[in-house]
Amino acid sequence: MLGMEAEMLKGHLDAIVLAALEAGPAHGYAIIETIKQRSAGTFDLPEGTVYPALHRLEQAGLLSSAWTTPPNGRKRRVYSLTKAGAAALGERRKAWGRFSQAVETALGPVAGGGRA
Amino acid sequence: MSGAIDDYVAALRRELAFDPALASRLASEVEDHLRNAAEADPAWPSPEAERRAVERFGLGREIAAQFAADAVDRQARRTWITLAVTVVVTFVAMRLRVIWLDDGAISTLAPIVDRYAFIAALTVGVIAWFAFRRSLAALAVCLVGLLASIAAGIVRADLFANGAPVHVLLSAAGEITLIGLLSFHVIGLGWRLRRTALLRREAQ
Repeated sequence: MLGMEAEMLKGHLDAIVLAALEAGPAHGYAIIETIKQRSAGTFDLPEGTVYPALHRLEQAGLLSSAWTTPPNGRKRRVYSLTKAGAAALGERRKAWGRFSQAVETALGPVAGGGRA
Repeated sequence: MSGAIDDYVAALRRELAFDPALASRLASEVEDHLRNAAEADPAWPSPEAERRAVERFGLGREIAAQFAADAVDRQARRTWITLAVTVVVTFVAMRLRVIWLDDGAISTLAPIVDRYAFIAALTVGVIAWFAFRRSLAALAVCLVGLLASIAAGIVRADLFANGAPVHVLLSAAGEITLIGLLSFHVIGLGWRLRRTALLRREAQ
């Protein structure tokens, strides 16, 4: 069963995948490793979950992909952020900033203590 | 002897059999991913490293169910676009028929069906767009309404054009093409919804 963080992550997976590709093109395994590292292990979804997200983002024109053959000889698909993807990431960051600030305010302790 | 990775990739291919192109593309990607993960495992090379890589990847059926759900969304979008175009074309053809044909001389059911089946389809379509966008039943009602309206319109054209002129036949041909396309998309959506439900049930 997925933990609370994993359930919360599911709703934001597309934006997190876009952010993981901001530094440059990467293949599926590298993307999931980047996500794990950047979240310090908090986001520990089943690794396969990233592939439907990659496919969805590519269909939406936010990512592009191409097969490459690195020196170890194994063919792999490498994903890159498109211009539309970079713009979408910027939008999602702004939306997340507003949302997280609102949640933090709503969940924070009431100034001046408890109920009268 | 095949290892855990080979077995997993073969099973995933079977789960994704509904989309052979996707199954083939994903099998290569997933195999690459799993071999990377196994090679990064401290126990590599060993069957245990492969087994752990597969375990971390998640159930193939769950991944297939996510792809199937995305395919439903895409199919629903295609169906709604086709429905919107069919509604506009049917409406324009209906108005043109009023201009082209002599309605005053007729007293059959066709004009009533032509008009009210269209209005019913449009009403259900608008409500469904706002309330039940993935409702197959609502889309089927729209399809039947438009089909009835187009059929009635063609009956009118045949009855009153007396060797219908080319522009009347062309407008009817456009409507028939679109209603055929819409039927194809509605059937496709139904099939994808059933498949997604089945995969989700099996994944639980």
